[in-house]
Amino acid sequence: MQDFFGPTLYEFVWVPAIKIALVLFIGVLPLITYLVLAERKILGFLQVRTGPNRVGPWGLLQPIADVAKLLVKEDVIPSRAVKWAFILAPCLVVGPAFVIFAVIPFGPSAEVTGGFDWFVTDINVALLFVLGMATIGVYGIILGGWASNSKFSLLGGLRSAAQMISYEVPQGFALVAPLLMAGTMSLTGIVEAQIEQGVWFLFWPHWWLPFGIAPFMIYLIAGVAESNRNPFDLPEAESELVAGFHTEYTGMRFALFFLGEYANMIVISAVAVTLFLGGWSRPFPNVPSLSFLELGFLPAGLAGVLWFSVKLAFFLFLYIWFRGTFPRYRFDQLMDLGWKWMIPASLGTLFVIGLWKILA
Amino acid sequence: MTDAPRRHDTLFEVEEMELNFGPQHPSTHGVLRLKLKVDGERIVDCYPVIGYLHRGTEKLFELHPFFQNVPHTDRMDYVAAATNNLAYVGAVEKLTGLVIPPRARYIRTLLAELQRISSHLLWLATHAIDIGAMTPFFYCFREREEVLDLFEEYCGARLTLNCMRPGGQPFDLPVGWTDRCRSFVEGFPAKVDEYEGLLTENRIWKKRTVGVGVLSPESAMAYGASGPMLRGSGIQWDLRKAMPYEAYGEVDFDVPVRHNGDTYDRYLVRMEEMRQSARILLQCLDKIPEGPIMAKRPRVVKGPKEGEVYHGIEGPKGEIGFYIVSDGTPNPHRCRVRPPSLLNLQTVPELAKGQLVADLVAIIGTTDIVLGEVDR
Amino acid sequence: MSAVKRFLDKIMLLDLLAGLSITGRHLFKKKVTVQYPETRREPAHRFRGMFRLDEDRCIKCTLCARDCPIDIIYIDWHKEESPVTGKNEKVLDRFDIDVQRCMFCGLCEEACPTNPKSIWLTSKTYELASYDRWENLYVDMDELMDWKIRPAYTDREVL
Repeated sequence: MQDFFGPTLYEFVWVPAIKIALVLFIGVLPLITYLVLAERKILGFLQVRTGPNRVGPWGLLQPIADVAKLLVKEDVIPSRAVKWAFILAPCLVVGPAFVIFAVIPFGPSAEVTGGFDWFVTDINVALLFVLGMATIGVYGIILGGWASNSKFSLLGGLRSAAQMISYEVPQGFALVAPLLMAGTMSLTGIVEAQIEQGVWFLFWPHWWLPFGIAPFMIYLIAGVAESNRNPFDLPEAESELVAGFHTEYTGMRFALFFLGEYANMIVISAVAVTLFLGGWSRPFPNVPSLSFLELGFLPAGLAGVLWFSVKLAFFLFLYIWFRGTFPRYRFDQLMDLGWKWMIPASLGTLFVIGLWKILA
Repeated sequence: MTDAPRRHDTLFEVEEMELNFGPQHPSTHGVLRLKLKVDGERIVDCYPVIGYLHRGTEKLFELHPFFQNVPHTDRMDYVAAATNNLAYVGAVEKLTGLVIPPRARYIRTLLAELQRISSHLLWLATHAIDIGAMTPFFYCFREREEVLDLFEEYCGARLTLNCMRPGGQPFDLPVGWTDRCRSFVEGFPAKVDEYEGLLTENRIWKKRTVGVGVLSPESAMAYGASGPMLRGSGIQWDLRKAMPYEAYGEVDFDVPVRHNGDTYDRYLVRMEEMRQSARILLQCLDKIPEGPIMAKRPRVVKGPKEGEVYHGIEGPKGEIGFYIVSDGTPNPHRCRVRPPSLLNLQTVPELAKGQLVADLVAIIGTTDIVLGEVDR
Repeated sequence: MSAVKRFLDKIMLLDLLAGLSITGRHLFKKKVTVQYPETRREPAHRFRGMFRLDEDRCIKCTLCARDCPIDIIYIDWHKEESPVTGKNEKVLDRFDIDVQRCMFCGLCEEACPTNPKSIWLTSKTYELASYDRWENLYVDMDELMDWKIRPAYTDREVL
């Protein structure tokens, strides 16, 4: 391969392609389908009932049954829908979410593991890339809502788009905070900065003076709003708009929207873990007495992947917990919250963090 | 698409959109159709269309003798069957002059208050899930299971109870029922605290319900609203205190009243009513006398030759009343129901004007309508 | 002071955290799901389920048919000389119940004057769903007496 297409092609095209295929097919897609099951089980447990438990032990084959069902459903396109947009919309929601996984570090880089990086690629403007890709998803939702040629879908699509765009501003500001703390936009660089400084950016600069909690909270709330989840899930509120922008979608197209929402959830959680919770580093990265947490007996940086997964699982559990507990915000209150509270709050935290960085 | 006139006074031409909040919708509680005229998000006009669940109940009443009509009353407000039964048998007893023994009165009060708790639990469950909080639904139904189990032990059915007869009660309380009832009631206020902890102070809940659907006291009285709709707007009127019936004159309880008239106040009124119901139940369980449960009555009850009576009671949704005209035969000549849900539903167009479509769901939830009663 | 407290409350999201703790506690509590059909709850003693008839006790007074609010009980009887006692006695020809339209109100059971009752509903059977309307849901006299109680909770059939 190396001398067939030339070394640059090998390094920049084939290896990342294989890596991202592995990440998606072995990591992300099973995670998304089993996240659906986990959500139903955990919601059930929060609501004093067991979730699905008929299909396979503890319902473990339920996602397979769901996928099979969605695949054999009749594919209905409304007769007056705009066909090309109708078909393109789910892809625009799912595609960017998957692409972001190319820059997220799941484990340490080749220097630590000895030859194998636990990320697909390391670009030095990764944060900007993440924000950019997340915005493309909005276009998919608008297109989906409009192309269905139905009043309910249109309203749902427009609302969702407005909500996502409004919350991208505080999300962006909140993401600038780790940028300030680390000094680099590359995600691997940010994780390494957290290890170097010995503190997760959640507890930056010291665990007894955690300025990092404010941008973390803002990012969490904005992230929940970005992925259209409870308490910000008005666009898909069943009781008000039937199902919002994906009312007219059936079968696999609906499944793609659904998958896209969960993929978005995972992406936002992964970015939060990387930026605020230290990515793949162990808890207390600078306390040598707890170095057993490094799990050195696991080979080649697997310990890092394990810690990353634990933190990601915690975030996803938070998402599900919020869904089970809170009522829904009304649309104008949601927009109020975004523009009148989150943006000033995020600007304020940036100011404080910047000030601290200069003075200390 | 719409026959609304185009407005030419603004910079862009604005049209009002007509939206059908159709009979099949997850949050209209039953088959209620609302024709909405919306201007963007704001509701300009709201026109309810009912009748999708009409079953001719009032005509059915005329075809059967008095005591056979009790199962038909169960099916009007199917969520709160015991209070329907109570209103009907109370009216028949008033018409025919039957005096029921005291033990029967206490048993009826017990059943009516248990039914009030059960109805309010269902209201809370559906109201919360419409606004987005899904867990109170399951917690409330867990408690409602226990109430329905108590009913099942008493009369054999859980929902369509058929538990009262003109003249008294058909069955006596089974052995151990009072103990089970007491253990349920003693554990109940803790559960209400749990629901309140999830919702009452929650900022999202408050934002969704405070100031939404404000009903002024004058409007409430003009529309004939009753029950928590009235008491949430500041009018202290509860038939259990104003015109005591059954054993309500002998027990001690408070009637919660709030003054803002919005959805949050009605929510608080109903939560407090649940607690007061628990209090009434404990007192009844302590005070229930021994004795017969059915008055001496002929096998087939007949009304007087030209009698008419109206008897209203305080059901969970409001004042439910029966107006019965008799003509000497065992069948009633005419039996008209005063359905509280229908009269509360009348307030919805006024409450909804100027609100957003999302608030409409909260407003329908707070009026606590059951379409079985609206349409009969 | 209370203004500061209210501001802190708003920022620290304490009310939301209280809600989260309530649902979080339920994660570890016992679940109330009953795994039907492996586990079935036994209905109460007075549960109004499917009918049973006892022809020997029945005195053919037709009070149950008269009291039914929806007139779904069809009774025919005639008088004939009984070989046992030699007297004219009523004999039951037909006792059909249209279970499709029955609302299980129990008025027929209340009307029955015999003691113990000749028609009763307390058989604790509620699983009456059927694929064929006319086969299972219009029961005649023999079926009323002989149908198998399903599921079998106890072998007691009486009130």
